[in-house]
Amino acid sequence: MSDIQLADWRNHALTLESEVNKVIVGQHIPVRLITTSIFARGHVLLEGDVGVGKTTLLRAFTRGIGGGYQRIEGTIDLMPNDLVYHTYLGEDGKPHVSPGPILMSGENLSVFFFNEINRARPQVHSLLLRVMAERTLTAFNKEHHFPHMLVFADRNQVEKEETFDIPSAARDRFMMEIPIVVPNDDSIMESLVFDTRFHDADALVSNVPENILQFDQLNKFASILQNSISASPTLRSYVLNLWRATKTPTDFGVKVSGVDMNRLVLSGASPRGMAMVLRAARVNAWLNERTAVLPEDIHDVFHATVAHRLVFSPVYEMRRTEIARDMLSGIIHAIAAP
Amino acid sequence: MRTSIQTKFLLATSVLISLISQPALADVVLPEINAKYVTIKEDNPTRDAGYVVGDILERTITLTVKKPYELVKESIPIVGYEHRWKGQISGIELSKVSSEEIKHSDSVTHVIHLTYQVFTTGKLAKPAALRAEIIKMRNTEKKETLQYRVPSFNFRVSPLSVFGSVKLKEELSPFTPPFLIDSSKQKLTLKLLIGLLGLSLLGLLYIFGMHAWLPRMGAPFAKAYRDIRKMPETASGLQQAAARIHESLNKTAGTSLFGNNIDSFIQDKPAFSPVKQDIEKFFALSRKVFFEPESAQNLNEHSKAWLMKFCRHLRDCERGLRPEASA
Repeated sequence: MSDIQLADWRNHALTLESEVNKVIVGQHIPVRLITTSIFARGHVLLEGDVGVGKTTLLRAFTRGIGGGYQRIEGTIDLMPNDLVYHTYLGEDGKPHVSPGPILMSGENLSVFFFNEINRARPQVHSLLLRVMAERTLTAFNKEHHFPHMLVFADRNQVEKEETFDIPSAARDRFMMEIPIVVPNDDSIMESLVFDTRFHDADALVSNVPENILQFDQLNKFASILQNSISASPTLRSYVLNLWRATKTPTDFGVKVSGVDMNRLVLSGASPRGMAMVLRAARVNAWLNERTAVLPEDIHDVFHATVAHRLVFSPVYEMRRTEIARDMLSGIIHAIAAP
Repeated sequence: MRTSIQTKFLLATSVLISLISQPALADVVLPEINAKYVTIKEDNPTRDAGYVVGDILERTITLTVKKPYELVKESIPIVGYEHRWKGQISGIELSKVSSEEIKHSDSVTHVIHLTYQVFTTGKLAKPAALRAEIIKMRNTEKKETLQYRVPSFNFRVSPLSVFGSVKLKEELSPFTPPFLIDSSKQKLTLKLLIGLLGLSLLGLLYIFGMHAWLPRMGAPFAKAYRDIRKMPETASGLQQAAARIHESLNKTAGTSLFGNNIDSFIQDKPAFSPVKQDIEKFFALSRKVFFEPESAQNLNEHSKAWLMKFCRHLRDCERGLRPEASA
């Protein structure tokens, strides 16, 4: 693919980003990360307090990507079957079976939006695990493929009642876990409260133009993009050191205040996790009009792609967000490139 | 018969009397030798008062005896002889004797070291003397023996403590210096310790100078500048030089410095603010060298020279200088 085509796709990506930024204010970093994730073909998990705009943000992106869009709400009584099909009595008085949210759009499914994923049972997580990893599902004696599907999910960490922890294997399937926090800027906070256009989420999301991207071309382009952006030997060595540091931070002199570093990490980043770091970093380099990955590209995506994959000792799980942030910052400060 | 026995008795008695009345050889007073044959040099104690029981006095007598006379070595005083004066034991005992002999063409010099110890005391200060020693000289040509009298050395022995009620001010003798404690060993120890302290300070200076002999010579950019000068003018040398500067930047920053945290570095180390633009330029160059090999081909031979100049500027900032002024 020529540089012109790469630039053309970049313009589309930046347009999508710009349009989303118009309706979701003060979230430039999460917007950039989600854009990165879309072009790296990775699933996204948003994490944040209630009412900070997680769902609106994902809906805005969904509209811009185009293609089939399905959504399901996580509840404690949701079962895996509810994702695949639902049954009802038809007007003819006979029972009918209809495809569930996952199957409804068929191969054109581009975004499967799982709202409040942590309210769903582990059985549902388990089904989702396969769909996310393989983009296939066996139902009605047939294997269904969803080659263009991305899973967007959100959860809030504050509420613990009637919720289930997402197992580390399921977390690892998400390319990124992106924290969403309320912006600190006074003018943005004032707009969110007083500007009536932010009060109606449906109307707000409808401001994002539809089909900015060609969803069915994204896989092909993503593959070309990954092959177009190089990673030098120095960078490879740097990334390997970062990986090692997630497993044994003490070997690199990384410390976190109030934490016994020898007991903290049960498991560092997985090979799949580090591969996703590189995929995301390549997209970041492309978005910044570069042809090679720099350490700065790694830094931009490192926290979002690695933090949720770390497995800590149970005693530190309650402080997970804070400890993961400090540890990953410590790793970036400790390891030099070159 | 009776007469014969009486005669024999009288004869034996007279022989015995004659033997007893004969003076002992040691007590024989010999004639004095002519002064022109003997010269003497005395090396006496420096003070003549303030000695107490137990003190040791040393004197060295140097006698030069001209030929044909020679010194009778047996006449040199010996240890253990109890000296008396006017029938009383003097209490000044010879405790050690040594002598040496230096031969010349027409004379022989005898250096006699005599060590006396005071074994007398009293309630008040009293006179004492290192006795006048009698040394005998033999004429080797005439078989004549003469004597030479080494002069005595007079001094005063003081009691260990004051007797009775006295006024110290009046009792103080102008001849008696204050007693000094022998501090030669302590002085030697002090000198050794001062030497050791000096060496330690030099070592400390060396360590603080980061293994360099002048302060700041061992600072990161100073060392890097010295290293970079030795690196070759090749692509590999350029890479090594850039890596060396990265290492120094990281060390100075105390963290890994990247292109996206230069501002915080300048904020933490304002001394480097004059070279902020150069640091940004360096990161652009480093990007080409390490991460974008295709664009690295555009680097020219001046890049190494620029790196050296840049490192020198960083070194100047490190030393608190303005690089423009010293460049």
